[in-house]
Amino acid sequence: MPWKNQTGGPWGPGPKGPWGAGPQPTGPKPPDLEDLLRRAQERIRQLLPGGHLSGMGILLILIGAVAIWGMSGFFRVQSEELGVVLRFGKHVRTVQPGLNYHLPYPIETVLLPKALRVSTLNIGLTLVQDSARSTSTMRDVPEESLMLTGDENIVDVDFTVLWRIKPDGVGDFLFNIQNPEGTVKAVAESAMREWVGRSDIQPILTSERTKIEASVHELMQKTLDQYGAGVLIQQVQMQKVDPPAQVIDSFRDVQAARADLERLQNEAQTYANRVVPDSRGRAAQIVQNAQGYKEQAIAEAKGQSSRFLQVYQAYKEAPDVTRERIYLETMEHVLGDADKLIYDPGSSSSGGIVPYLPLSELTSRRSGSTANQPARTDGGAR
Amino acid sequence: MKTGVLGIAALLVGLALLVVGYSSVFTVGQTEQVLLVRLGEPVRVVTEPGLHFKAPFVDSVIEIDKRILDLEQASQEVIASDQKRLVVDAFARYRIKDALRFYQSVGSIQVANIQLTTLLNASLRRVLGEVTFIQVVRDEREMLMARIRDQLDKEASGYGISVVDVRIRRADLPEQNSQAIYQRMQTERQREAAEFRAQGGQKAQEIRAKADREATVIIAEANSAAERIRGQGDGERNRLFAQAYNQDPAFFAFYRSMSAYQNGLKSSDTRFLLKPDSDFFRFFGHIGGRSAASAPKP
Repeated sequence: MPWKNQTGGPWGPGPKGPWGAGPQPTGPKPPDLEDLLRRAQERIRQLLPGGHLSGMGILLILIGAVAIWGMSGFFRVQSEELGVVLRFGKHVRTVQPGLNYHLPYPIETVLLPKALRVSTLNIGLTLVQDSARSTSTMRDVPEESLMLTGDENIVDVDFTVLWRIKPDGVGDFLFNIQNPEGTVKAVAESAMREWVGRSDIQPILTSERTKIEASVHELMQKTLDQYGAGVLIQQVQMQKVDPPAQVIDSFRDVQAARADLERLQNEAQTYANRVVPDSRGRAAQIVQNAQGYKEQAIAEAKGQSSRFLQVYQAYKEAPDVTRERIYLETMEHVLGDADKLIYDPGSSSSGGIVPYLPLSELTSRRSGSTANQPARTDGGAR
Repeated sequence: MKTGVLGIAALLVGLALLVVGYSSVFTVGQTEQVLLVRLGEPVRVVTEPGLHFKAPFVDSVIEIDKRILDLEQASQEVIASDQKRLVVDAFARYRIKDALRFYQSVGSIQVANIQLTTLLNASLRRVLGEVTFIQVVRDEREMLMARIRDQLDKEASGYGISVVDVRIRRADLPEQNSQAIYQRMQTERQREAAEFRAQGGQKAQEIRAKADREATVIIAEANSAAERIRGQGDGERNRLFAQAYNQDPAFFAFYRSMSAYQNGLKSSDTRFLLKPDSDFFRFFGHIGGRSAASAPKP
């Protein structure tokens, strides 16, 4: 290499060896270089006192070019990037964000992938930018999101994969695989479809989302590791998991029917909650009534017994008089207000009388319930 | 003059050296391997990236990708062993393992992709045709993918290609079958919904009936208790009366009769037809009384 000979030539190996081999991230400091050049110039002047000005000029131009060339190796790595340094196409080192130095082109070149950034991959939906309102909305991509389940149903699954380059896998990511982004997407789709295909529709829609997320995550990572893709799957998130649009109404109706079931049950329970306490109340009332009757009966019986005994005490002291008095008082009271007819069948004056009792006339003047009164009178009077 | 000729000669030599030097080195990138061909005859394959030397002018360099390469296959219909049609699309990932053989047999990645697509299609049809639809979708997808990969790998090794992986991405039903599935899903949901509603009615009736039964039982038990209590009351009443009246049954009869007359005959429209020879009229015709000694009988 001609340039190598030149640099190594008249000055011998430089004190700093800035162009020598070796992956030093920190090259020579610019002041040192200028200092060196200045000293070299002075020495040239000393060696060729009054020499050809043209030769000196060429030399100076060459030295300047070499200096500029050497300086071209400085580069900056942004905070989300990593610097991948290639020497003649071979990956020799990876440098962290900050100011770095590589040997100037064409010996070393640098690639600056955004290796520390997390990428988002949406499957089943695309982000549509609305430039008028500067908002973005998600639009469904049915051919990506409709999947067949293990029980031959179809679900509409939208999911998002968050991934990044592995901390130590930036070389793999850049050099091992032709189309890393496309591969992540293809692997994500096939993994999700594989797991959805293994499951029935109901668990996918309801309880097993987390389990499927974890399984897809694991399968994706395994597959990508097998490719040596240098990709780290951070998260698999299922966004929307729905029945397809054509049948979503009937799924909603099932939900509604479930709600109806609950509602009917609740209504019935409301009825039950009303009826049973009601009947308990009525039962209490019945029992209390009976209790009242019992107490009343006992109280009355006690009262009547007591009254009788009082009278009986008095009667025992003077039986005949009391008896007579009671009899007369009663009869007096009974007969006092009533219509009376005294008839003596034994007396001669009335011997020819045929007793005529106008029952029809009597009963017509009173209510039917007491129509038998006269008959009783006969028995009661004697 | 002499120095001028010398200078020109030196310049020419230098230029010649530069050209020779340049054409005797080559670089191999991190993503590629290089096939070195000397006048048409392959010499060697360099896989190690970096700076390498070759014979100037006679050796030419053919760069061949070393990475894992994409093979995307368009979706196609496959018939499973149970005659069900499936729309399948798959992708493969492969790498060029033997650069020389690859270069000789296919030459470029484009040609290789065409060849591999044909092989992949054939392999897909062969493997998926042996199993049922449900095995593809549900049970054996992983195993089938491995089989397809192994077949493809074996066939592609003739091209110097090693197949890293084959994955089935979609395995769906054709559109018209999808419609049938939607209809089935719909009817299934309708059935489910009807079932839920019927269950709701059933449970509601059960709850109501249970409540009604409970209410009836509660009332009946209350009535039963009430009768018992009333009976207790009646019993106690009778006991009390018996206790009191047993002290003198004859007087009780008299006393009670009097009370009954008073209560039973008290209404004002009672008519009496009386015989004057009753006890009440004892003194009616006789100042001394008809039979004063005899106690009046009710």
